[in-house]
Amino acid sequence: MTDATGWNRRDVLGAASLVALAFGLPLAAVEWSAVPAEDRPGPADRALLREVSQLVIPRTATPGAGDVGAGDFVLLALAHGLDASRRPPGAITPDLLPHLRPDGSLRHAAWLAAELDRRGGGRFMAAAPPRRAELLAALDAEAFAEGAGDNPWRTIKGLILTGYYTTEIGGSRELRYELVPGRYDPDLPATPQTVAFSSDWTAVDFG
Amino acid sequence: MDFDAIVVGSGITGGWAAKELTEAGLKVLMIERGREIRHQQDYATETKAPWELPFRGQGDAALYRREYPVQMLNRHFTEFTQGHFVNDAQNPYSTGADTDFTWFRSYQLGGRSLTWGRQSYRWSDYDFEANQRDGHGTDWPIRYADLAPWYDKVEDFIGVSGQAEGLAQLPDGRFQPGMALNVVERHTREAIRAKWPERCLTIGRTANLTQAKPDEGRGACQNRSICARGCSYGAYFSTQSSTLPAAMKTGRLTVITDAVVEALDYDPATRRVSGVRWIETKTRQRQVARSRIVFLNAGAFNSVHILLNSVSAAMPNGLANSSGVLGTHIMDHANTLSAMALMPGFEGHTTFGNRPTGAIIARYRNLETMDGVGHTRGFSFQGGALQSTWTAGKREAGIGADYKDKLRHPGMWKMVLVGFADCVPRATNRLTLDRRRTDANGLPLLKIDFAFGAEEHAALAQAKADAAEMLTAAGGTVIMGFDRPGAGGTAIHEMGGARMGHDPASSVLNRWSQAHDVANLFVTDGAQMSSSACQNPSLTYMALTARACAAAVSMLREGRI
Repeated sequence: MTDATGWNRRDVLGAASLVALAFGLPLAAVEWSAVPAEDRPGPADRALLREVSQLVIPRTATPGAGDVGAGDFVLLALAHGLDASRRPPGAITPDLLPHLRPDGSLRHAAWLAAELDRRGGGRFMAAAPPRRAELLAALDAEAFAEGAGDNPWRTIKGLILTGYYTTEIGGSRELRYELVPGRYDPDLPATPQTVAFSSDWTAVDFG
Repeated sequence: MDFDAIVVGSGITGGWAAKELTEAGLKVLMIERGREIRHQQDYATETKAPWELPFRGQGDAALYRREYPVQMLNRHFTEFTQGHFVNDAQNPYSTGADTDFTWFRSYQLGGRSLTWGRQSYRWSDYDFEANQRDGHGTDWPIRYADLAPWYDKVEDFIGVSGQAEGLAQLPDGRFQPGMALNVVERHTREAIRAKWPERCLTIGRTANLTQAKPDEGRGACQNRSICARGCSYGAYFSTQSSTLPAAMKTGRLTVITDAVVEALDYDPATRRVSGVRWIETKTRQRQVARSRIVFLNAGAFNSVHILLNSVSAAMPNGLANSSGVLGTHIMDHANTLSAMALMPGFEGHTTFGNRPTGAIIARYRNLETMDGVGHTRGFSFQGGALQSTWTAGKREAGIGADYKDKLRHPGMWKMVLVGFADCVPRATNRLTLDRRRTDANGLPLLKIDFAFGAEEHAALAQAKADAAEMLTAAGGTVIMGFDRPGAGGTAIHEMGGARMGHDPASSVLNRWSQAHDVANLFVTDGAQMSSSACQNPSLTYMALTARACAAAVSMLREGRI
């Protein structure tokens, strides 16, 4: 069934739902009707963000970020301006210019698609998987290099992490989640195997 | 409608006034401008997980920019708690041209008692004597001894957990067992004490129960640290968990919500408040009630707003304003992140549970020795040690399985110290009515003029240097620190505007929080404060309220008002 926005249920859930079903875990679906029409993503945007999310947080013993719908969350978050993503960039470089909205803010997803295509000398999504990882790793390394200026990738990557670790899978299977700890232990032994809590709200805010 | 007492506001002090006055046998009307929120029934997001909310707890940033541009700056404002904060677009205020003031508000039954930070500290005579000592503001007409028994009463009832330290500048209270410092904080406490014996790092004194109060239906804290969503355990003090049930139990309390008080009527013949007028926000109907006494507990700025708007032929500049100082000398603590340090050496340690308080370092400057650089008052620190988690990954390079695995484990220990500096009372920091703009109820907007001065900047500069010095001494590596205060209001300790003082010519209230000009009017929220100290003020507001209630009841019984 297709709704008035042109999106159907299969589009919304996408391939990620199959992974979720395979793991027997719930999927955090995005409600696209809340997204303004001009920011509603197309299939190519969603496929790219799903892939990029999965490259950042891949499937290991637990599903990856793309598997659980982090890509869709990023697109929703960008449309609404989470993590100050609707604030106009501090410095306008030539690569940003084609992707600026009238209000001066950046269309991050469009920029990312163009940037990855440019770096690969062709369509990023058509490249072999190892090549995609290589291209994204290079972008990531540049964006986080010491002394690097503002880079839209930092915002996108941050939202991918939010999109993953605030899902039930990321928050309670990859990490631990305890709504009611019931006590406070001020000093416990930690080992390299100790798993962090996504429900450590102070750490989430200030960590 | 006739009552013995009308209490305007249902927050931390309104709840206390209602409790004390009803328990003294008075028939009380409590008027709250916001909606009703029922304890345990209306904490809609209390048990939600991030994945159960549309924006995963982060909230709809577009909505926030549009309708909550001020409240969204509050760190406790999230998708979980947004229902406990005002809609800025619907509740505007004005600021002066050079004023940057973030006014964080909660208009609902319980007010900010639902969202407060719960830090509960006694003030000392260093604070009550501060104005007399350096000449800023006007001398308090009370001293610590006047308030000590009322602190006892309040702490016993609300439940404050903390550690006694024997500090003259931060008097010990009647504490429930304190929460524990974590391993890094314990180390830092000892390292600081070894080098500076006068500097005391201790656990935050917080109105979270470490021991249940079953007779009052309150359970012990579960170490969730999601208090601002509302707590069905009743483990932190709020109007809903504590004072409102006590007042309701008397059978003498009537509560009206969704009712904005616009003004108090004044009878020049009796020199008394003769009525309280309000607007029902759902119907825009105007109502009025009378009572023998009135307690203003609308929150510091809103209580002043009501007084400024209560003009009459006899009091054309606002009720209880013969002095002309109504609205002046407002304050808020100047605060900023003084230092953040990485704390190596604790990689083999972690914690479990979410402690709903941090650690503090009590004031140590300008006590017996005036050792402040460029300032005459005090500053203190709040903060604590924590380990980073997945959000640290937002600042780090990396993708792929190794990166994912790194974020799976607790990260580096950090220690944070946030400085809170005493704010000097100044006549130029003031509230007035904006005669050009009105709100949805047709009431003039409140206008805030506010700026920190040289004293606050100097105090935060010294706080930054001291914080770095202490964390370094504890083995930390300081990675950042600031000495510029945030916008006014950042500390959410706005106070003053109807200050207490000896002289009716230079103050609004007397030593009983009673208006010099109007004998049956009491203002017992933050508006009454004559100085700001550098510790959190809510416990003092509560103690002053309980004290004022006892005084008012005595005056009524003796026929003096």
